[in-house]
Amino acid sequence: MKNLCFLAVLLLALPVYAQGDHAWLLDQSSLTYHMSHPLHEVDGTSHAAKGKGVCHAGVCDFLLAAPVKTFDSGDSNRDLHMLQVTRGAEFPVVVVRFRIPESAVNLPTLDCDLEVQFAGNTAHYAHVSFQQQIDGKAHHITGVVPSTLSDFKIPPPSFFTVPIKNEIPVRVDTTWHQQ
Amino acid sequence: MAMAAHVSAVRFGVLGAIGVTLLFSPLLWAQTVVTAVADSATAVSYDSLPDAPTPTDAVLTADVDAGLDSSSFGSLFQQSATLSSHSQNPAPPSLSDLGLTPDQTKADPDAQARLDRRTQMLKIHQRLGLLTTIPIAAACFSGAGAVPDRNTYGDTTSRDVHVGIAAAAIGMYAATAFYAIRAPRIPDSGPARGGIKIHKYLIWIHAPGMILTPILGTMAFNDIANGHKPGGIEQYHQEVAVTTAVAYAASIIAVSWPIHLHF
Repeated sequence: MKNLCFLAVLLLALPVYAQGDHAWLLDQSSLTYHMSHPLHEVDGTSHAAKGKGVCHAGVCDFLLAAPVKTFDSGDSNRDLHMLQVTRGAEFPVVVVRFRIPESAVNLPTLDCDLEVQFAGNTAHYAHVSFQQQIDGKAHHITGVVPSTLSDFKIPPPSFFTVPIKNEIPVRVDTTWHQQ
Repeated sequence: MAMAAHVSAVRFGVLGAIGVTLLFSPLLWAQTVVTAVADSATAVSYDSLPDAPTPTDAVLTADVDAGLDSSSFGSLFQQSATLSSHSQNPAPPSLSDLGLTPDQTKADPDAQARLDRRTQMLKIHQRLGLLTTIPIAAACFSGAGAVPDRNTYGDTTSRDVHVGIAAAAIGMYAATAFYAIRAPRIPDSGPARGGIKIHKYLIWIHAPGMILTPILGTMAFNDIANGHKPGGIEQYHQEVAVTTAVAYAASIIAVSWPIHLHF
């Protein structure tokens, strides 16, 4: 009888181990870059990002990716030029990876070290702060990635021979839920 | 009593066997996967594998037998580690986990070349278009002096200057249009949105205007050269020219719209 109980405990322990890992899924997102020029202020937004997070052994790895061509600035000509200058046909996806401790997942402020792959180059941004609001199962996370053109070796496009500013901050607005 | 004890022992044995099988099933699964990897990656037959390989040993043996270099070993080891630990240590999410289709993630050098060529030609189009505003504006101003008074029909200098400037404007306009027309179209880019849409609509005004204006101008020129005031349709040469110039200027502004001045 004791053996049977021991066996039952062992069998039941397997699913318990399996529950140790959990995943996060991106429900909705909006990534918006801002471009400045003496004649123009432009925002380009993508709502097509997809994301997933996997937590294991106290660490959560997140991945967020958006096709470059889904960024819409409201002007199809400008979007095509953006696609060209960022080499969006050769490198069609912008990829963001970050890792946070599982204990920090529910904090109101998330301090993230980001790895961003874009235009064939990879840039790292340390200690980027994101604000989090938790509403039931939904985790609403917002923040700004302080990206620049030079981070990704993108030649600044010019208009009337005046180049745009090097700073291209990307505003991130995402809603996640735990799977 | 003895019968009951026997049944109990048999039940215990069966349950025990099931339990042990279930307990070790993840390990068996992992071994199967790694063996398959070793087989497909290195073409090592099952005979060359040890009888009861552990996941790591299987890959190591396969590696040695196949005479692979250290980088291949590392690669295989990583594959092995990834697969064997799949059920225990999940890998960070990858692009394939996100449901992005291969079409969305595949590099397309041809499309990039097309985009590069398009941008290059439209940059020339933009520069030429801006430069063309100079002869167009000059043609409008010189046109004011080309209208003869009643007693100056014989003086053709101002009209000749006007014709020369207008010819330059038309030539540059044609070159500007050429670079826009010949710029490659980008498939699946959807309909035009934003300022470029109005820019394209205005073509329907200034392009016919650029054809009609010199025709009417030539007719008016001949009327004046023959000593009488332009009549008929050629009397609207100036109105057509001004409309064309305004549409052209609006076209430049439209493609730059909205403008937020800040220095």
